Amino acid sequence: MRYGMVIDLKRCVGCQACTVACKSENGNGPGIMYTKVLDQVSGEYPNVRKQFVPVLCNHCKDAPCVRVCPTGATYKREDGLVLVDHNKCMGCRACYVACPYNNRIFLKRGKTKEGYYGKKLTPYEAVKYPEHQDGIVEKCKFCVDRIDAGLTETSCTQTCPADARIFGDIDDPESKVSRLIRSRGGRQPLCEDDTDPSVYYLD
Amino acid sequence: MGRSIPLVEKEFVSGFRQQKEWAGLIASAFFFGKVGSGLFIMSVFLPSKLGMLVGLMIVLCGKGGAHMLYLGRPMRFWRGMARPGSAWVSRGIWAMTFMMISGFALFAVPQDSALYLPLAIFAVISAFVVAVYDGFLLTSSPAIPIWNTALMPVMCMFYSFLGGTTMVMFMAHFSIIQLSAEFTTLLPNLEIGLLVANLLIVLLFLVGSINTGSAGRASFDLLVKGPYAVPFFSLAIGVGLVFTLLMSVFGGAHAGVGTVALITVADLVGHFFIFFLLLKIGVFKPVLGFLKI
Repeated sequence: MRYGMVIDLKRCVGCQACTVACKSENGNGPGIMYTKVLDQVSGEYPNVRKQFVPVLCNHCKDAPCVRVCPTGATYKREDGLVLVDHNKCMGCRACYVACPYNNRIFLKRGKTKEGYYGKKLTPYEAVKYPEHQDGIVEKCKFCVDRIDAGLTETSCTQTCPADARIFGDIDDPESKVSRLIRSRGGRQPLCEDDTDPSVYYLD
Repeated sequence: MGRSIPLVEKEFVSGFRQQKEWAGLIASAFFFGKVGSGLFIMSVFLPSKLGMLVGLMIVLCGKGGAHMLYLGRPMRFWRGMARPGSAWVSRGIWAMTFMMISGFALFAVPQDSALYLPLAIFAVISAFVVAVYDGFLLTSSPAIPIWNTALMPVMCMFYSFLGGTTMVMFMAHFSIIQLSAEFTTLLPNLEIGLLVANLLIVLLFLVGSINTGSAGRASFDLLVKGPYAVPFFSLAIGVGLVFTLLMSVFGGAHAGVGTVALITVADLVGHFFIFFLLLKIGVFKPVLGFLKI
């Protein structure tokens, strides 16, 4: 069992619905995004191409963040999820500079008290913000709470209107993600770093 | 990966991206760690108890203090000792702890005791690890190609020895510590040798970083052509190495306390800035490097 995600770049329309769904699911404050969609413009006028590139933690099999974490706060589960134990992280940010995908977020002091509408938190923020801590590093959890509750989709895959994100078990050859990787030649980002990411891109 | 991919600042744009998390405080910690451990190692060989004490205090207060200020959750610093098997941060904390315990224990053990020599050896090895582990820490980060060079630990080692030698010369000229005649002759020559070695290592590092891929090249460009070129060439190289070398060769340690003070300040300024700038120029690769541009 190894959870992973396939991102179809041909389908992504750059609407950022996944970004918003993720923020909503996790109750992230302003400026904190576990996933987002980047614009990548290539070529030269008049042959210019714009592509949307959704990015998130790649939950690598050989994750550099797990290796460099001095406290053991970043750990890997048997199902392939790379998670952060908020109560162990000391905020040294060794994982931040070790992650080739730059997908970790350091919560500066006061970040978890800063609401979208000023200092007074909305009822939703008041419920969600205590799940976060200042001074530690966070990242995408592949919606571990949903998985542990028996759901089969992450918040971003469920929300994506173009079906550009597909979540599943990449160790199961019959899963949708495995079939897509095989048939469309899924590519792992920055594979030269030998991290064996669990996120594949189809282009 | 195309070189036409830009260095980006905006949150939602793909491209090379500068790391922003490790900067001033981490550079200060690296600086104090290397100068303090270098001074401690030199002082054990002299031997000078006062030099050892100053070295230990620089590491404890300077390096330890900078790290504590930097940590997001400083009260959890002890948790950083949990993973010495794989994490260089853990190894560094352990090395600092061993250095402190064995270093301060040297003050309690008489020099003619049978325990002194093994304790001194252990303290010197721990101090050496404190001096070089930063280099291994940077090298072990696959995300930032310009740091992935075997020269990093070597550079840390030579800068540490240089910092230690400079501090010993400074303290000796200001009569804070006493040197034997042998060391009084040796140290100025050692200083010149270390300055030449450091200059060569920095040159080798620059030459090597040209071939560290496109992200490494982006870092290199930031350092030699971009916004960090002026502090790099003026402070890290000019003041820290070239000026110090010229002062050491033509003025020398015999030119008086003023010259030695100037050499010390210049050396320390260069030492701080080289590692500060090396941290600042760290560049991440674009996530989808394989996209054709």
